[in-house]
Amino acid sequence: MRSLRHLQFAAFALISGFVVTGASAQPPNKAKQQIRKQLMEAQKKADAQKKRDEDRKKAEQLKIELGKKETGTKPEPFTPKRIGDPVAVAAVIDREIDAKLKADSITAGERSTDAEFLRRAYLDLTGIIPTAAKARQFLDDRSPNKREKLIDELLASSNFGKHASDIWMGLLVTRTSDQRRISFDPLREWLASQFNENKPWNQIASDLIAAEGTQEKNPAVTYYLSNNTVDKMTDSVSKLFLGVSIQCAQCHDHKFEDWKQSEYWSLAQFFMRVQVGGLQQNGTPSIEEVKNPNRRRIPLPEDAKAMPVRYLRDSTPVSLPDDGAIRPTLAKWVTKPTNPYFAKAMVNRVWSQLFGTGLVNPVDDMGPNAIASHPELMKALAANFAADQFDLKNLVRAIVLSNAYQRSGKPTGGEGDDDPQRFARMAVKVMTPEQLYDSTFSLVGSAINPQARARMAANLPKGPLADPRERFVNFFLAGQEMANTTEYEVGIPQALKLMNSRQLGNPAAVRKLIGSKSGKDAIEELYLATLSRRPTEEEMKSMTAYVSSAPTAMEGYGDVLWALLNCSEYTLVR
Amino acid sequence: MFSATLQGRTRRDVLRLATAGAFAPSLSGWMKVLASHTAGPETKGKHKSCVLLWLDGGPSHKDTFDLKPDSKGAGEFKPIATSASGIEISEHLPKLAKLMHHGAIVRGMNTPEGAHGRAKYYAHTGYREGQGGVVYPSLGSIAASEIGRPDASVPNFVAIGGRSYGSGFLGPKHQPLLVQTPDRGVEDLKALVSEKQFEKRVGLLKEMESAFHREQKTDLVVEHKTNYDRAVKLMQSKEAKAFDLSLEPSANRSKYGSGAFSDGVLMARRLVEVGVPFVEVSLGGWDTHDNNFDRVKSLSGRLDSPAAALIEDLKDRGLLDSTLVIIMGEFGRTPHINTRGAKPGRDHFPRAWSLAMFGGGIKGGRVVGKTDKEGSEVVEGKTTAQDFLATVCELIGIDHTKKNEANGRPIQIVDKPKPFTKLLT
Repeated sequence: MRSLRHLQFAAFALISGFVVTGASAQPPNKAKQQIRKQLMEAQKKADAQKKRDEDRKKAEQLKIELGKKETGTKPEPFTPKRIGDPVAVAAVIDREIDAKLKADSITAGERSTDAEFLRRAYLDLTGIIPTAAKARQFLDDRSPNKREKLIDELLASSNFGKHASDIWMGLLVTRTSDQRRISFDPLREWLASQFNENKPWNQIASDLIAAEGTQEKNPAVTYYLSNNTVDKMTDSVSKLFLGVSIQCAQCHDHKFEDWKQSEYWSLAQFFMRVQVGGLQQNGTPSIEEVKNPNRRRIPLPEDAKAMPVRYLRDSTPVSLPDDGAIRPTLAKWVTKPTNPYFAKAMVNRVWSQLFGTGLVNPVDDMGPNAIASHPELMKALAANFAADQFDLKNLVRAIVLSNAYQRSGKPTGGEGDDDPQRFARMAVKVMTPEQLYDSTFSLVGSAINPQARARMAANLPKGPLADPRERFVNFFLAGQEMANTTEYEVGIPQALKLMNSRQLGNPAAVRKLIGSKSGKDAIEELYLATLSRRPTEEEMKSMTAYVSSAPTAMEGYGDVLWALLNCSEYTLVR
Repeated sequence: MFSATLQGRTRRDVLRLATAGAFAPSLSGWMKVLASHTAGPETKGKHKSCVLLWLDGGPSHKDTFDLKPDSKGAGEFKPIATSASGIEISEHLPKLAKLMHHGAIVRGMNTPEGAHGRAKYYAHTGYREGQGGVVYPSLGSIAASEIGRPDASVPNFVAIGGRSYGSGFLGPKHQPLLVQTPDRGVEDLKALVSEKQFEKRVGLLKEMESAFHREQKTDLVVEHKTNYDRAVKLMQSKEAKAFDLSLEPSANRSKYGSGAFSDGVLMARRLVEVGVPFVEVSLGGWDTHDNNFDRVKSLSGRLDSPAAALIEDLKDRGLLDSTLVIIMGEFGRTPHINTRGAKPGRDHFPRAWSLAMFGGGIKGGRVVGKTDKEGSEVVEGKTTAQDFLATVCELIGIDHTKKNEANGRPIQIVDKPKPFTKLLT
């Protein structure tokens, strides 16, 4: 500062001609130029220093503010509390939902038919429709507890983990431009095995949040290879494990929730040591925590880095090790049984996956102003989940055993139809691309002969889209990050593919499905295989008439299969 | 009892509507009010189109539209005069040079992204990748949603030969129809069976659907049915013939040259003729870190013929004024030449680069912006991708100040731009 003043005075003196530059032999213009240059450089330096001082002052101010007063509404304290086994929990679900229906004089819909329940349970729990044989077996079973038996069978199937993994891959992994070179399969497989082995949810979450090491040794690090900047990590962890959407507070105080920008960056401190490595060609993808990580491309602003570390809306002091990993500390706080967000977030998410709508919507925006449709139920289910060691299969079992889940998707004709959060009837959902692929290819895939398959494989591009399932899923996602099961959102290209694609329209497929059956038996087999139900009398009449008038019976059956695969009942989950 | 958390809709809407006095006790009342807010655009005036010829990889500006023969890294190409006095471009774009009186060159492009993925995203959407946790729609999807006809039998955004960028938060309805190999037309557009059998199948399907709808009565069934109707309509429409290049007279087709890009540009013209508002055609290979001059010469040849044929054909059909043709990539290339590889090359350079525009009602023969002697600094008319996209919007009839909704947040179509439309019209 002083040198600047100095120069300013010297310049003034020189320019105004009051000082003779005695010793120097330079002509006055050159000297003026030199001084002007020095002046500008000094000014630049001074400006930069001023900015740094301002930033520091701002950070200090925020620190003081945070320490001084409580910002925003604190969540209610949360206590785990066991209700009982899944049957008891199901009873509580029904008690709460039915009570509210009664209070508002809304009639609940009727129970689902066996056919409705069969297909719905298969798709919701294992992501694939039942075979014709399994469908027939369930529909003809006379035992009174066949639904309970089916639920147990589906929860024990390896497709349970595969389906849950599909859902969580869509949530955990984002597809931006710099991850073309890493494979996501290790995470997919790891997740499937965790869900199948029914590892407690707090353990899975903790493994993901604190994941460290090479992708080869620890597939869970794929989560951070995908969300590889501090802001993405903060956004994702708070959304997926705390159920709150604070990403707006990255740049400014949230507009209508009361998340402050300072809170966002205090939480973000937990990710400040994460170093992402090996994303380049021939690299070894890895995640580690170091004191001063190499932050590619997007440096963080000074005041963001200077925020004190804080748990979200929790003033418990955070004690971090001076060196080494700090995410385990966050993981511990997030997954402790008394964390007010963790249990609720997962219960709401699982509920919305099964019912098509959460008790709180949007599913991952359970902030201070969020209102649950059934607040007591939300609290009870979350408290039970936490007390039950975060057992996921038990949570699913309880929900699926309830009358509410087993209601028909047919409209009741009453007020309950207008508001899905009444749960007066089951919402009709759309199959996800993964469900559509797995179901459809179980029907027509085996008909593709190996030479054709090899030819197709040779023509496919390399990389993640070389996998036919991945290509199909990408195509049917139609640009979205995740499938939305409550809205029909595909367009013309998807309809064209289902109608006219060679792979899906293979004439050998229908032959394989009906085997040696003919006439009514063949029609029944096609309906059971695709819609998991028998045709009604009217449908049977109409279909047999159609087939008899076709040039050949096989052509007729082929047309029927085509219509079944393209009708909305096939892609909808009732 | 009214729930403040509407399924799928946002609290921001709730607050906005509540203060507007639109408070209604029943939920179905809400849905109607919200639906009216998302009603489609009113199309006024003549229908406009845009063809984006995307030069993938970052074409060297000093070797295409902004030659600097007196600079240190002048390179091997000579500038030639064009049909617009005072404007010179590369000798390897002679056909485009003869059409310069229909076009304008923007030489002051100055953008912040130097990595392919991020730069392409920014050039297509006007936003930085990952900004605010939102996936932004590309210009094509914006055009589809703003000036496309919702009931058109051909999708309003067609992307030929490349990946392009999608509709982001505008939703799947405005995703591009991708045509990988233009010579083969649209994937799965033809039925697997005879026309007669296909008609029978569609009849059977319709029967199944109406029975199911009567029983189920859900909106999802209606949407599924509508989508299928549109797909079948496309299959049977005469507009779909635009995708069939074999219908183009061969004398005309040869003007475009041969190869996937030429086919794609021809298809673009045919699509514009049937009213498609946005077509993007990709020509890759411009990332010339090595062997810049051989490759750019060859690519310029592959660009010149079809681009010129397109402009001429549009003029002949009276469509040039209503069709904006853009020729651009994601950035330019270094003014100096690198000698790392076997042959001289140029590396990424977003600080100063060029793009060209033809038709669309612009007054041709113009240059917007200027770079210094080396072609390394923009000395006049610095233009960001936002400025450029807003200008395009104004030329084809899109209100770029309109706000669309992404997860409850209002997002302006182009963010804080300084369009330079006045310099072109």
